Amino acid sequence: MDTLSLILLTTISPLACFVIAIIFLIQQPRIAQGLVLFGSAVSLLSAIGLLVQGPVEPLRFLWFQSGAIQLQFGFILDGASLMFGVVVAFITACIMLYSVGYMAHDPGKTRYFALLSFFAWSMLSFVYAVDLLQSFIFWELVGLSSFFLIGFWFEKPEAAGAARKAFLMTRVGDVGLFIGILIILQLVSNFDIPALLDPQTGLSTQVSPGILNAITLLIFIGIMGKSAQFPLHTWLPDAMEGPTPVSALLHSATMVAAGVFLMIRLHPLFMAAQDTALIFLSIATFTAILASTIAMVDTDIKKVLAYSSISQLGFMLMALAAGSLFAGVFHLITHAFFKALLFLCSGIYIHAYHTNSMAEIGRNGGRRLKATTLGLLIGGAALSGVPPLAGFWSKEEIFAQLGHNGFNIYMAGAFLAAFLTAYYTFRMIFLITKPDQASASNHSHPEPLNMKAPVLILTLGAIVLGFFGSSIAQGLGLTAQHHSVLLMIPTVGVVILGILIAYFDYGRDNAPRTGFISKIAPLNTLFTNKWYIDEVYRVTIVAITHALSGILHWIENHVLDGNYDRFGLGILRTGAKSTRVQSGWMQLYLGWAIILLAVVVLYLGLR
Amino acid sequence: MTLESYLLVGAALFSLGLIGALSHRNLIALLIGIELMMNAASLNLMAFNRFVVTDPTTGQIFVLIIIGLAAAEVAIFLSIILRIYRAYHDIDAEKLTKLSG
Repeated sequence: MDTLSLILLTTISPLACFVIAIIFLIQQPRIAQGLVLFGSAVSLLSAIGLLVQGPVEPLRFLWFQSGAIQLQFGFILDGASLMFGVVVAFITACIMLYSVGYMAHDPGKTRYFALLSFFAWSMLSFVYAVDLLQSFIFWELVGLSSFFLIGFWFEKPEAAGAARKAFLMTRVGDVGLFIGILIILQLVSNFDIPALLDPQTGLSTQVSPGILNAITLLIFIGIMGKSAQFPLHTWLPDAMEGPTPVSALLHSATMVAAGVFLMIRLHPLFMAAQDTALIFLSIATFTAILASTIAMVDTDIKKVLAYSSISQLGFMLMALAAGSLFAGVFHLITHAFFKALLFLCSGIYIHAYHTNSMAEIGRNGGRRLKATTLGLLIGGAALSGVPPLAGFWSKEEIFAQLGHNGFNIYMAGAFLAAFLTAYYTFRMIFLITKPDQASASNHSHPEPLNMKAPVLILTLGAIVLGFFGSSIAQGLGLTAQHHSVLLMIPTVGVVILGILIAYFDYGRDNAPRTGFISKIAPLNTLFTNKWYIDEVYRVTIVAITHALSGILHWIENHVLDGNYDRFGLGILRTGAKSTRVQSGWMQLYLGWAIILLAVVVLYLGLR
Repeated sequence: MTLESYLLVGAALFSLGLIGALSHRNLIALLIGIELMMNAASLNLMAFNRFVVTDPTTGQIFVLIIIGLAAAEVAIFLSIILRIYRAYHDIDAEKLTKLSG
């Protein structure tokens, strides 16, 4: 098949499934589910076909033209989009298969699968988009579909609130991104991504460094919103209100990955604006540490995983800001696999024991679910960076790049975050596999095959993916750095330290089962309360917005509407009063008529 | 006899008619008041015709038409009063306030 039909199959088949399912199959959830799974398989196979074909020239179709501005619709088919397209399609397919078991008894099954398909369509189209405006459209559609899916159980007020929060907070970032795009349009009247990035004639050669800095900063605000970086990160933990497979999708291959992918897409632009790299690096490093500290003390398994996503996204952005495209892409891909895996495992636990608390899952006998516990162990080890699993190689690459480019303080920050990652991950693992007491209830139903299979597939991915680093670098047209043994020692060292402390705190027999951080009370309080960031927002931005809208509401009610109301009421009252004149007593009418006539006559006579 | 004396008599007639029309409750008395006012107007017209306009026919035609109109009006008014009496068993003007707003 030629490239065009392959790319159309990849992107259009999820959309077609969405449309058919949502319009015709609301009453037939089983058919809808089969159709969506089939569409996802078609999309995955064509994405693999594209990858096998290898990078080709972008395909462009003119959408419309207005003066010098040309808007194109098309597909960019370079190494990054081909590889990430396969990852997105693959993980979406795994999660859809898993959802068959997880959502088996949900009344809104068709809506769920249709929305999942819609999500896959927006994300895939975003990945392959050739035009910056096209990217932005699908970027927003990704946000919209996550809004739908986070609020899937919209009858729960928390879910509805979380969906709203996610939508609004990413919107804050999107405003920055949109302004950045508009500035680019104003300056060069061109949205074509390869043309913008061209080293000879691209954007960086046409505008002054100051403006380039401003543009990259604005685009980075969008990335911060989407990829949940401080200070726009608080929507992501709340987004856990959605169904767990949705969280898995949201945290691995779609939504939050969109932000990182935009930075990958526009990486040369970010590299040209060197002055801003330090800002991005600081934000990413700080986010990575901040999120890890919160994950250290949270008790909800999904919240821990959510904060760990935020911190891993920080790692990816760190790598990209430090100048390494390869390290960013590599960690994005490996993270997609092991984070999806971890979320799917947590979903099985939640499905089986109906609790989100890690300690409860452990007490109820979480370790009896063999395949899930294996997935949790492998995924957790990959997340912490235990060699030779996927996360180790990509994380080591990030450290190497930070050190290589001389960002030593940030490298120290990254080591701290990696240590915390190992600690909180193994805290989670120990809490689940080494419970303090066994529960009296001994009920446990084994995980169904359609939930076990994706877990096992992703487990395999988390094990082997790390060895494909050099192929990924080749796909990007780069050569991978050789791993230096000198750097591996501290990389492995912090991981082992983290695991040991976690073992000491939670793992060994008669362990205290409280974190070492609880000995430092102020820090413990700070972390447990998530650094009070939500509270700060509540008393500043939310309070200000409430006050402002209160004032506007008052103005609306009392000035704008009030005056219209008064006008209308005045006419009503005048009418009510004036009806009294019509007493029905005809002699009175006659008298009035005579008086009026007399007045008119007098006026005319005296004039 | 001057124009003023005619006009004064006309004004007096008109005022008497107006007072009668406004003060009496009986519909028949009201009708009589209205007739008086109309006759005052006719008298004024005739007086102006006699003293101001040279052609005597103009005013006379006017007044003849007014008298004819008054006769027709009285016929209609009396039949209305008759209908009102049948409907309300009363011809008191103050009680006929069904048309109030």
